[in-house]
Amino acid sequence: MTIEVPCPNCGRRPYTEFTFGGELRPVEASGPEEDFERVYLPENAPGLQEERWFHAFGCRRWLTLRRDTVTNLIDGLV
Amino acid sequence: MGSFDFEGKPVPFEEGDTVASALFRAGVRTFSRSLKYHRRRGLYCMTGDCPNCILTVDGEPGLRSCCTDARKGASVERGEGWPSTERDVLSVADHAHRFLPVGFYYKTFTKPRFAWSLAEKVIRRTTGLGDLDVDRAPSIPQVRHVAPDVLVIGGGVAGLAAARVAAGDGKAVLLCDEGRIGEKVAPGGSLDRIRALEADVRTLDSVTVLERSTAVGIYDGPLVAIAREDELLRARPERVVVATGAVERHPVFEGNDLPGIWLGRGAARLAGIHGVVPGNRAVVVASTAEGLSHASTLLDAGVRVALVAPRAFTERWPADAFAIPDGRVVRAHGSKVISSVDIAAGDETRTLRCDALVLSIGLEPRDGLLRMATELDAVVAAGDAAGAFGLDAAEESGGRAGRGETSAAGNRRNETSAPAPTAGYVCLCEDVAVSDLEQAWEEGWRSSEILKRYTTATMGPCQGALCGRHLARFATERSGSAETGARTTSRPPARPVRLDTLAAGIDEIVEKRTSLHDLHLELGGHLGWSGSWKRPFSYGDWRREYHAVREDASVMDVGTLGKFLVAGRDARALLDRVFPTRVSDLSDGRARYLLALDEAGYVIDDGIISAVGEGRFFVTSTSGGADAMEAWLRNWADRLDLHVHLVNQTAMLGAILLAGPRAREVLSGLTSEDVSREAFPYMAVRDLDVVGVPCRALRVGFVGELGYELHHPRRSGPALWRALSDAGVAVGMRPHGLDAMDLLRLEKGHFFLAQDTLPDDHPRKLGMEWAVDMEKESFVGKAALQRMAELPLERKLVGLEFDRTPERGAPLHLDDRVVGRVTSCSRSDALERDIGLGWLRAVDGRFARRLRCGDTQAIVVETPFYDPEGKRLRA
Repeated sequence: MTIEVPCPNCGRRPYTEFTFGGELRPVEASGPEEDFERVYLPENAPGLQEERWFHAFGCRRWLTLRRDTVTNLIDGLV
Repeated sequence: MGSFDFEGKPVPFEEGDTVASALFRAGVRTFSRSLKYHRRRGLYCMTGDCPNCILTVDGEPGLRSCCTDARKGASVERGEGWPSTERDVLSVADHAHRFLPVGFYYKTFTKPRFAWSLAEKVIRRTTGLGDLDVDRAPSIPQVRHVAPDVLVIGGGVAGLAAARVAAGDGKAVLLCDEGRIGEKVAPGGSLDRIRALEADVRTLDSVTVLERSTAVGIYDGPLVAIAREDELLRARPERVVVATGAVERHPVFEGNDLPGIWLGRGAARLAGIHGVVPGNRAVVVASTAEGLSHASTLLDAGVRVALVAPRAFTERWPADAFAIPDGRVVRAHGSKVISSVDIAAGDETRTLRCDALVLSIGLEPRDGLLRMATELDAVVAAGDAAGAFGLDAAEESGGRAGRGETSAAGNRRNETSAPAPTAGYVCLCEDVAVSDLEQAWEEGWRSSEILKRYTTATMGPCQGALCGRHLARFATERSGSAETGARTTSRPPARPVRLDTLAAGIDEIVEKRTSLHDLHLELGGHLGWSGSWKRPFSYGDWRREYHAVREDASVMDVGTLGKFLVAGRDARALLDRVFPTRVSDLSDGRARYLLALDEAGYVIDDGIISAVGEGRFFVTSTSGGADAMEAWLRNWADRLDLHVHLVNQTAMLGAILLAGPRAREVLSGLTSEDVSREAFPYMAVRDLDVVGVPCRALRVGFVGELGYELHHPRRSGPALWRALSDAGVAVGMRPHGLDAMDLLRLEKGHFFLAQDTLPDDHPRKLGMEWAVDMEKESFVGKAALQRMAELPLERKLVGLEFDRTPERGAPLHLDDRVVGRVTSCSRSDALERDIGLGWLRAVDGRFARRLRCGDTQAIVVETPFYDPEGKRLRA
């Protein structure tokens, strides 16, 4: 698999320069049940997903990408 | 022109010879023995699409000799068979199909149970293609990245036409070909057309032609991996034109794998390019115009040719030559090589004597690469690969692809129709005959994908180039469903690749060094890998180094620690929000121990946080965790929308630990500032000038003695180290490495992250609840810790005392049950005891105190073992 990530600071760069940070999840939950879901039950659904990428071999900044997990097509930054 | 060595005998070769053509000229007919049954296999396709000519050249097995240039002095050998490929006793396997049926490893030699382990040894020795010399030093190629506008794969008519047209549109074109342009094409119309196009393309500056460059995989992007002799190209073009041509249909009939049976292009190439005739009496079966031209090539080369072809062709055949109109092959006979063939025509079957049977019965797009990219719009097919057969059609199709007028949807037009095979070898690589497919079908493996997995058909070196469609046709016919019989998924590599190539770039590793690297070498340090760093493990005698720390003073290079300066309006808020340590009340000049938890409450790192004034904080992490710590902190700052500046100072700062009961004595002589216990107490941070080097000094003690961590500008490291060493002479100071530190920290009961801990360790399992402030409103992992606090503790890290130091990793037994494992252990000189850390599991809700570890006893004890009150630390 290979994709190019449109980094807002560095331009389009191969994904191997990035660290994948997983699907975008809320940072906080309102209660213990919700927190359990937040931490352990990501959507992991096929299709468009908002996800975090860290440009480790570049600007060392995070970005949030919208990517189709089925086709790997990138639908821009969030 | 020269000669190479073939199994001890010199074989001469001529200009343009491949290893295969030279050997054939020298009379070699059996090139290999088949994978399972040790059947003789001879030259067949001559285009790199079959496994028959695979040989070992200069110790490198698995080379297709039809694609390997003959080279002076090379050493060539056949890999299979015993005592030799020529006289192979193991060919008895061909009479023992009963014992080696398809899927035999699931059903034969399974009873009694030990039978398989014996049989496996024999089978492993007697099967396979060639031997890999595992001691051979690898030569791992470099990776090169290229980004042409258009990548054309294949330098035939369509590929060259595509390159020419794309270049005319101002595109930068990269054209790669597995061989050299035109190399595999027999003289005739195709070659003439290729030479004309090549002459044009060679004049174009914007076209780069790479020969002997094999595209082996297409990935999303599109990204194309191209294997070359000395490098691996990662090509990332805007558009890919796959012009890989076609391979002649592999005819399947009884006896179809005998040496002396040829695909038309192979025989014509041998006669037309290399000037060697495939035989003296050839039967040529041609159902295409191209086949007819191959027959003519052979006739011109002096071969007696009997033509079996549609009447329209045989009528054009010279009157004095022999022809059978509208015939078809029934069966081939022969032992070492073919001796005769049965040809059916009308109601009659005739047996023709021959020493070569040449078959041109149709073309099938060579689409292994293309089918990896069925969902990529930027990858289009052209020429034979797209089913556009014929020279004009190929050139026109290449032009359209080069111009970008072809859509990826057209890639699916490349299926051909032919009857399913009824007898003979379908898969030459894996020795799978139609009878094997039939048997597997009867056993219930009833789709092309599952047949492939069970019989391993299509899984050999040719990757289904010859047999993929036959397998699909078989499954389609049996099941009556095109879906059940669909072509199996195509995956990289499409062509054989050297293992070295797969590892391309892997030796491009980063070796991190601290500024003291050269000093360590001067001091005789034993340097080794510690993560991505090279660090001294000792300077010769780690026990003496250990005693220096405990009794006098010692320095250690801890420049590898993760070091971060956190500033900005919300610096304190961020650190208080993410770490379980309370930061809100940390006053300037003070430091605290830091745990980092993930959202599941598991420990991911530890370190020290100190408040250095003006709202700034200095955070250290473990050496291995530095990169992750930076990313983690940045992510939280970003997600929480906090205004924070983070500088990763890991590389810009060095750090030296000065530790030992006489450390203060050493330091006070090198700085004018007050480093007394009162002025600079334990867990404090100060900015010190030490012999002119500005240091951020932390009074911390991983090793359990009075200690100062001196963080300094990297370039000043050697000067600072030398000054400390010189000043330490009077107190018997010597440096210590990782080996000494391992015991020092063990005596203090400190764990090494990832050595003593597991990925799902929360603070309670590590006995680290003191480092977590559950009163805080929030921190990362708090909710998870609250949930887990209600659960019984199933496992914990404990201190252990042994009669005798066991092996690290040894299991801990309670009666006969394994209830834990030793993660660190050593003889402690200071305590004169054998101590360790290890995992212990609760049994019936309780943790045992007396355990057995091999033949020694293990007693669970409290940690720290050494200086439990921390008096030395606070000295």
